[in-house]
Amino acid sequence: MKSPVQNAQLQTPQQRQQLQREWFQQLVVGAEVDAEYDPDWLLPLREKALQSISTLPLLNRKQEAWRYNRVDNIFQNSFDPLFDNDLEQKICIEDIGLPAIDSYRLVFINGRIDLSLSELSELPAGVILTGTAEALRTIPDQLMSSFDHLHQPGEQLFTALNTALFNDGVYLHVNQSVTLDRPVEIIYLNNNLTRSEQHVGSMIQTRNIIDLESGASATVIEHFISNNKHEKYFHNNFTDINLADDSRLRHYRIQDESRLAYHLSNVQITQHRRSRYFSTCLAFGGLWSKSAVRVEFQAQQAECDLLGLYTVGDQQLTDFHLDVQHRVPSCRSSEQFKGILYGRGRAVFDGRILVDRQAQHSDAALTNDNLLLVRDAEVNTKPQLEIYADDVKCSHGTTVGRLDPEQLFYMRSRGIAEHSARKMLCQGFATDIIESFELQQLRDYASEKIAHTLNSVESEMEHKNGH
Amino acid sequence: MLRINNLHVKIEGKQILNGLDLTVNAGEVHAIMGPNGSGKSTLSHVLAGREGYEVTDGQVLFNAENLLQLSPEQRAHKGVFLAMQYPVELPGVNNMTFIRESINAIRRARGQDEFNTLEFLQLIREKAAQLQLDEKLLKRNVNAGFSGGEKKRNEVLQMAMLEPQLAILDETDSGLDIDALRVIAQGVNSLRSAERSIILVTHYQRLLEYIQPDFVHVLVNGRIVRSGDKQLALTLEQKGYNWIIEEDAA
Ligand SMILES: Nc1ncnc2c1ncn2[C@@H]1O[C@H](COP(=O)(O)OP(=O)(O)OP(=O)(O)O)[C@@H](O)[C@H]1O
Ligand SMILES: [Mg+2]
Repeated sequence: MKSPVQNAQLQTPQQRQQLQREWFQQLVVGAEVDAEYDPDWLLPLREKALQSISTLPLLNRKQEAWRYNRVDNIFQNSFDPLFDNDLEQKICIEDIGLPAIDSYRLVFINGRIDLSLSELSELPAGVILTGTAEALRTIPDQLMSSFDHLHQPGEQLFTALNTALFNDGVYLHVNQSVTLDRPVEIIYLNNNLTRSEQHVGSMIQTRNIIDLESGASATVIEHFISNNKHEKYFHNNFTDINLADDSRLRHYRIQDESRLAYHLSNVQITQHRRSRYFSTCLAFGGLWSKSAVRVEFQAQQAECDLLGLYTVGDQQLTDFHLDVQHRVPSCRSSEQFKGILYGRGRAVFDGRILVDRQAQHSDAALTNDNLLLVRDAEVNTKPQLEIYADDVKCSHGTTVGRLDPEQLFYMRSRGIAEHSARKMLCQGFATDIIESFELQQLRDYASEKIAHTLNSVESEMEHKNGH
Repeated sequence: MLRINNLHVKIEGKQILNGLDLTVNAGEVHAIMGPNGSGKSTLSHVLAGREGYEVTDGQVLFNAENLLQLSPEQRAHKGVFLAMQYPVELPGVNNMTFIRESINAIRRARGQDEFNTLEFLQLIREKAAQLQLDEKLLKRNVNAGFSGGEKKRNEVLQMAMLEPQLAILDETDSGLDIDALRVIAQGVNSLRSAERSIILVTHYQRLLEYIQPDFVHVLVNGRIVRSGDKQLALTLEQKGYNWIIEEDAA
């Protein structure tokens, strides 16, 4: 039997394109959207999105966002566009191994909210936190403005798919000057659920809307996890964030999907005057994962800090695509991403900063540093600065390196075993990203994850060397 | 304790050490002096086990054991310590954590109990105070952004914590201010004991006023060409190295 990879190579470009188009179309045909409660304004949007699946440009390597990201393998898999969760599942959220945080909590099982596992009591006045489906039913008009975005070619297809097929997601709205006293924790627990043999796994679409009114502030933590490391599914997540004047959002996203999973996140942030967006993204899991984050400054003195850390092992592809748009003067953005490649995988980092002609006094800084622990890992890192204003402060720097033998020798000469020294250096490399979590529980959780990954790498290496 | 016989070492095909002999007994302090590039740091590195050096001939015995076949960490476990001429920066690695990992790794290897947090904190505070090392440096990352002198003090702090059997100090005095030199010398002197040996690599006679050596050796072109007592250092200070190089050539 041929593996999917070989199949993909045997095909002509035309065949591959056809396969891709059919892949999208089959998802749409197979889906049963639960549109019973959709408000009137959403129906035509759903319909339009459906139609566009057949006409939007396909993903291809000439598009900046897909240049280094091989996608053909995705389309070899037929996913089941799940619409509901019929299977009884006994899940104890405490057993999953997530850090214990005193939070408001929403749990999604395969993209559907599970209220029995969620914790929404005692929400302060002026805060709405619920499922998107529920919000569409009860307060439809508030959600309207979050559905009219244009996106990068390629991503458009997945966004259209999401608009056409999503059933649920997170809806968070914080009223003027309200501060959420506890973080909001969102847990997406995904697994391989299919209705028929012809599918390899489920296709999960979630649609999130986060709206902070002026002066509001909140912390949102997202955990993308699976029942175990061998579940196969595709999670297509879309998040729309709107930050009004003087609002603040801390946004932590921890992607720890199954090692056979496909993960696509699109996060779209619109920032108004003096708003602040801090985010830290961790990416550990997934066979194929891509996170596209797009920040658009719409008024002066807004600021964003995007931090991230990814670890990439055998067979994994992890892609970050950042796009920060300075369209008005006097905004500040910083992006700091780090990667540890410990297996034969590939990391793609695209960091685009656009500074429009009128966006004087913009301050933008971008760094991407990668540490290669093995020979066969690949990194494609590409900062793209497009600067059309003349009075701005912009900087960028990217590195790809290995552990420094001088440093290793220094540590070993102090009695520290080589594998511990390597681990300490990797943790040291990751430390400023991990320290960016305000919550100690998340810092500990992230350090532990990295330590665990590095331990297994080291023991594997010792095993290999021992034979 | 340490016996080096006829040591020949190459780096990238270039011969650096050319039949070096040196014997250091327990309790002795040996100073090694010599012109730039004569091989002093090379010797120090080879003793500590750094990679990239090819030993083409000779042997090194440490307590009658072949030192050269041991890994750097094994040498540290057995009591070898090198204070480096250029201490390495470890960004993101906390100094306190690093020293604690180090001392506990050595204790584990020797079958001793690890220090718990409290014991460790007491010990390091005490040693830092003796060496007048600012406690703020303990909370920072190892050597990262430290001044030249601060790095050297941090090396001596590690030495004081690890209490090695054989301490090699490669130009630990270079870059120290006059007061720091005195404090560091006191730190080294307080380690002197009948069981412990010290090799001091230095360019300056001044250090040897504070730490009185039992022997002074002159290393030229990868060999020890002359040995004497501390009087030799004074002579070198006045006359330089040329007369020795000439006499050696003759
Ligand atoms: N990696 C290397 N490749 C090539 N030559 C090297 C390398 N490392 C050291 N050397 C050479 O070996 C010789 C001895 O160097 P070493 O550092 O041991 O000298 P030193 O006596 O410590 O000098 P200093 O007093 O300046 O510290 C020098 O000529 C140096 O250039
Ligand atoms: Mg030297």
